[in-house]
Parts: sequence; C-alpha cells; structure tokens
Amino acid sequence: MSQQPLSDVNAKVNDQIFGKDKKNKNKPQNNNNLKGNAPEKTSNDKLTEKQLRKLEWEKKLKERELETDVKSDADKTLSKAELKAKRREQQEAQRQAKTDKSKVIEQVPEKPIVSKIAKLPPELPYLNTHKTPLKKSFEASRTNPKQVQLVKHLYRIPNLEHQSKIVNFKDIHPVFVRLGVQYSEKVILGSNARALALLSAIKTLINDIQTPSKQEFCRYFQAILQSCTDYIQDCRPFAVSMTNALRAFKHQLRHIDTNHSDNEKRAILLEFIETYVRNDMLKAWDAICMKVNEKILNGDVILIYGCSSLIRRILLEAYKDGKHFSVIIVDSRPLLEGREMLRRLAVAGIKCSYAIINSLSCVMKQATKVLLGAHALLTNGSVMSRIGTAQVALVAQAYNKPVLVCCETYKFSERVQTDSFVYNEIGDPDLFLNIDTSSNSNPLVSQKDNNKLNILNLLYDVTPPDLVTAVVTELAILPCTSVPAVLRINAGENSI
Amino acid sequence: MKSETDDLSDVIKLISDIKHKTLLSSHDIALSTEKLLVNLISHGNWSSALDLMELIRRRIKCLSQSLPMEATATNIMRHILKVIREEFEVASKKKGEAHSLHHIVTGALSNILDYSESLTSLKAALLDHLSEYKTELETSAENIAAQASEHIHSNETILTFGSSRTVKMFLKSASKKRTFNVIVVEAAPLYLGHSLAVSLAKSNIQTTVIADSAVFAMMSRVNKVIIGTHTVLANGGLRAISGTHTVGLAAKHYSVPVMVLSHMYKFTPIYLGSNDHDTLNILANPATVIPYSSGAVLNKADIATPMFDYVPPELVTLFITHQGGNSPSYVYRLLSEVYHPDDYEI
Repeated sequence: MSQQPLSDVNAKVNDQIFGKDKKNKNKPQNNNNLKGNAPEKTSNDKLTEKQLRKLEWEKKLKERELETDVKSDADKTLSKAELKAKRREQQEAQRQAKTDKSKVIEQVPEKPIVSKIAKLPPELPYLNTHKTPLKKSFEASRTNPKQVQLVKHLYRIPNLEHQSKIVNFKDIHPVFVRLGVQYSEKVILGSNARALALLSAIKTLINDIQTPSKQEFCRYFQAILQSCTDYIQDCRPFAVSMTNALRAFKHQLRHIDTNHSDNEKRAILLEFIETYVRNDMLKAWDAICMKVNEKILNGDVILIYGCSSLIRRILLEAYKDGKHFSVIIVDSRPLLEGREMLRRLAVAGIKCSYAIINSLSCVMKQATKVLLGAHALLTNGSVMSRIGTAQVALVAQAYNKPVLVCCETYKFSERVQTDSFVYNEIGDPDLFLNIDTSSNSNPLVSQKDNNKLNILNLLYDVTPPDLVTAVVTELAILPCTSVPAVLRINAGENSI
Repeated sequence: MKSETDDLSDVIKLISDIKHKTLLSSHDIALSTEKLLVNLISHGNWSSALDLMELIRRRIKCLSQSLPMEATATNIMRHILKVIREEFEVASKKKGEAHSLHHIVTGALSNILDYSESLTSLKAALLDHLSEYKTELETSAENIAAQASEHIHSNETILTFGSSRTVKMFLKSASKKRTFNVIVVEAAPLYLGHSLAVSLAKSNIQTTVIADSAVFAMMSRVNKVIIGTHTVLANGGLRAISGTHTVGLAAKHYSVPVMVLSHMYKFTPIYLGSNDHDTLNILANPATVIPYSSGAVLNKADIATPMFDYVPPELVTLFITHQGGNSPSYVYRLLSEVYHPDDYEI
C-alpha cells in the first residue's frame, strides 16, 4: 500500500498549515492497525457478534431516547454555562469511552471497530432518527428572534445536541467524527487545511473499510462516504476547496474499473488522492510562490489581510530568496488571525507592521502591493474570502494600489454570487463579547438576551471582480473573469 | 492692552479638563467653553471690543497650540468673535465693510470700523447674545433629532459607525414615528458601537452589531449611512474616527447616501487635503490593538493605531445641522455665516 509517502507529505503540510493547532494529530493511526484483522474471522463469529451488536444497538437507541427526553426537559431549566459544562462532561465521557474501547480492541484484535462500520447496511433506521430532530430544530430556528432576518437562511441548528448523539453512530468512521469536531471548533481553519484534512480522513476510510459480501466496493464506499460527509456538513458547511476535492474523488470512484480486486481499487483511490494533493495543492503552491516572487521587488511594502497559509508561504519564500520588503498586516476582530501571521513573519525576521482594519486608509498609503488569499473564486469573477477582504480591496482601489489575489485553481467554483448573503457562514456571535485589549466590561454582555439586539458574525464576503487587479494561479496570472475559461480547461482534462 | 493681568488660567483649566478626559463629548466641551466666555465677558479686564477680541484671540492661540485636534472650543470662540463684531456694529450704529462685489472691485476701504471705541452697552448685549447661544447649543441635538422623520422612511436599514450622542438621539427620535433596523459597526479599538447598540436596543429599535470587517458585505443591504463626526473641514470633508473612510468608500460603491449629523461648532475653517497631514491625526496607545501579553513579537513590529480618518467631501452626501440639511459644497458658505473671514486664521 503506497500510503506512507503521502502521509509524510501530509505531515509536512500539516506542520505548515496547522502549526500549533495539531492537537489531535496522532490519534487516527489506531484504526489503521486494525483493518488487517477483519477478514480473518469466521462467519460463525460474525453472526453471533452481529446479533450481539444489534441488541446492544437497540439498547443504546432506547437509552438515547430516554436521555434526550430527560435532556430536553433539563435543558429548559439549564443556563447556557451549565449547558456548556454538561456538554463538556458528555464529550469527556465519550472520549473516555472511546479510549477504553480502543484499549479493549488492542487486547482483543478480533473485535475491530472497523468491521462494525463495514457490516452495517447504509439504510438503517437511525438515519431517520437523526434526521427528525434536525428538522424540528430547524423549525424552531425559524421563529428565533435572535437571528438577523437578512441572513436567516444561513443559521444552522446548534450542533451540540446532535453532535453528542451522533458521536457513537456506527457508520461514521471515528476519523470523521473527530474531523467534524475539529471543523466546528475551528481547530482546523483555512480552506487548504480543511481540504487536506478531509482527504487524509478519506484515505483512512479507504484503508479501514471492509466491503460486506455481495456488495461492490465502490458502491458501498460511496454510501459510507456519503453519510460521513453528511455528518461533516452538519458540523460545518463544506469549504469550496473541500467540495471540489470531494467531487474529483467521487468522479474517480465512479469511473474505477469494477473488475479490479478491492485492494487494487484501494490502491487506485489512494494513488488518486496522493496525486490530487501533489498536483493541485503542493505543486500549485510552489508555482504560485514562484509567480508572486517575480512580482515582489526590493523595497516593496506588501499589505496583507488575515492569515492565509498560502500568503504566508509566499512571503517566507520571497524573504528566503533575499528580497528586501516589509509587510503590513491588517487584522480584524473577532478571529484576529493577523496576530498569528505577525508572530510567524516576525519570527522569520521580516519587517512587519500591524494595524486593525479601521486603520486601513492610513496604512494603505504606505503599501505598494496588496496580496490577498481566497476561499474560492466564483465563475462570475467574484472572490470569496474571509470577511473584510472586500474592504481591503476597496480601499486599495481608492488608493490605486494593485490587488493580487492568490488562489489555486482547485478552489475555482462553478457557483456565481454577487452578494455576501446568499451563501455564507455564521460564526459564533459570542466572540464579539470578549475584547482582549480592553479591561472594561462589555455593555453587550448584559443585553445578550434582549431580542432587539442581534450580533451578526459573518465569516465570508464576496469581492466584486472590478476591485481585483489580477488572480495569481498556478497556471498563470489571470484576470478574475477568466474563471470560466479555467474551469472549462480543467473539466476537459478530467473527462479525458 | 491688558495682557499683563491676563493669566489665561481659565483656558488652561479647560485644556487640562479636555486632556484628562473630564470633558469627553464635544457637547460638554462646547458648554464649558461658553461658560468660560461668559465669565470672561462679565469679569474680564476689557474696556473695548478690541481688547475683548484680543483676549479671546489669545485663548484661541493657546488652545490650538496645546490641542491641535480639538476644534470645538476654538470654533465657539471664533464664533463669539464674529458676534462681538456684529454687536459692536449694532451698538455703534455703524456699518462694517460689506463684502459686496462692488466693494472688492473698487477697493474702497472707507468704512473700516475702529473697534477700540469704548461702548457701555456692548457688555450687556454680548451677555444677552451668549445666553441665547447657550440655549442654541443645548437644543441643537434636539433640533437635529427633530428632523429625523424627514430622513428615515419605514422599514429602512440604517448603518452607523461607532457611537455619537447626536446619532443616538436622531435614531431614537425617528423610532417614535417609524420602524427601521439599525446596523451598528462596533468601531475598534474603542468599541463605542457596543454601547450605542445597547442603548438603541433598550429603546426598542431592532439593532444588529457587526464587526468592522463586515461593513462592505452589509453595505449592499443598507439604505442610509448616518454617522457623527469629530470635525467638519472647510472643504466639506470630515475628520472622523478611524474606519469612517472605509464606510464612506463602501457606501459610495453601493451608492448609499451618507448623512453626517453635525453641530455648527464642528464646522472648522481649516483645509486638510488628506490623511497625510500631521495635524489631522493622533496615534492611540498600541495596547488598544494588540495586548502587551503578546510577548516578544511586539518588539519587532510597528503597531499603527491612528485615531482619525480623513473623509473626502465626495463621500459625504449631506450634512444635517440644526438649521437643516446642506451638501458638502455649501460648507464654505455656512462657515462664512458662523465666522468672520478675518478670524479664519488666528
């Protein structure tokens, strides 16, 4: 199995992207060790095990129902802080349970978790059980007055309840469960990091999955993958990068030759992911770095916004090449990613200044170029990126500064969007309450329950194409309006 | 000239009050400046209009040297200089030079007034005028707020930036007759937007707080931008808290009208062409932007924390004063109504 080299690459990339945030990186290996054991079992064992598990599962289901009833009653009387504490407790318990389980598994290798995943037919009733509460809370959310009317469609169900329910569901691989938590807790942040994490989770799934008899590997895999990605989608909506990577993978999955053996298919799929990461991400980054590097001159003052992994890489590489330039880092609440960028660049020795987005028109004058990262490039040429990017581009245009958006072509999307509301994400409004630079208590805290007072924390905005000078891709430096052309070329390549 | 006996102690007290933030809002500064002037006129050591004008000029100089950013106090004094001139003309029953085209063309300088003439009725007339002026200061915000329903229609979405006492009164007054939504930008690093939002929500106005970075995204759904300002410059531009320029640019991009609520004492006869002017800006404490606890990285980085933005006049649609609305191109004329042209530069 050719997994080793890619995981090396991944580890390297993760280092660059996650940095200090790679808390849970070492866990997934557990499952890899187990998968080999599953096929050795006799059918007799399987049967009894199956029955046992069925009983266990039914029991669990009942418990869960009871629990939710109790919980929903209890929840009414609990304050938010208490809820949080309770949730933490639950997660702790689950974590405990999980580690216990894995210990057991280590001792008794004939009982891998993976085989559970493998043997559950995808159309079990639990799918319904977890969908009904979703719908209910969606209805409830319609009448919630704490939501901003304008973006009501963007509010999602508070995921604490269904997360705690879904954690032990059997057809979702633990890697995906953890990934979902990492996404929703923003441990993995940034579209590149998120796409890479998704792909490596899919790789684990490929290795671990066991096709039940009479089922075709790819079909079965597709079904399992679907429920895993549905779960991820519930935790946090997909980034465009993830959607595109997943689409490419599924395309490959559908077009795989059915005459291969399962292991051959695994190898093909793993090889595909590896190639995808290598070509569309790693090589694209190198190419973009080179292209931007040509555009950075000695004495340049480069204004950047937030903390894009690609931009950081570009700047660090240009600095390594001996270019003399300084950087203005513009930052904004509530994420304050720019501080991380400042730390990284300053440690590397690059001359930095730091300003918040309100000071933009004062610092823009000193800048000679503006470099921005992107979440996605839409077909109409709009750039979707972290909130505030459009503002930086707008001020840059007012001061006649060139705006370069750096974006890999795998983030190009067929969607079109002209405003920032149709598709967006709502962040946690409570982030606004905490101001780390002020010791005064925030007046908003006392009015949190006032129905007339909303806090809106949008995560993305859409920059119209006329504010962007050019987009740097691995193919070429292009105008934003070339997105459909690039998409057409890529589509043509894929179909061959 | 009585300068030996004039120790400027009153104005020094005013300066220290402003510097120590005892007087925070421009409204408070305006009222205490007015009090200072009443005191000066009733107890000051002067016998003629010329003496009094000299006393006030010295105070303006002192103020503008110590607080180059603070325009309110000097503007009020400048306005009183014009009042003195007018009252003198009335009292002495003489006509000052008329700024007519004829006068400029012929260059006739026949009737220059001699302000050194001592007039007994001047003091009483001035004190009268000042008490009137005080009422004007006190009711100015209400007068502006009273116009609210002329500018806000029902179901509108209004964006405001930071916090201004006048804007708060304006919106609250409008909410009595109309229902509308307000989007409040929090305005880092002072976050005054938070307290405005709380105050508006308490008066039952649907309020949404957004981050400074969401201004552009939200602007496409905004009907009007209503903001206060620190100073209105002679060209119709603004010196307002930092971030206002971005708001103006975003509003321009989406063709959203920008209304600036301003009292007359914020109109200042100075020209500042851009953000570059040293006299335009001051830098705040960098700890308001990045905490000291960030560690060693602070040694390696420059932290820029300007307090003000210059907003060019083309980004402003309308100024609303207690006298009504005016476009930025009319500011020069308003200035000449409030101040005497000879007093622009002191």
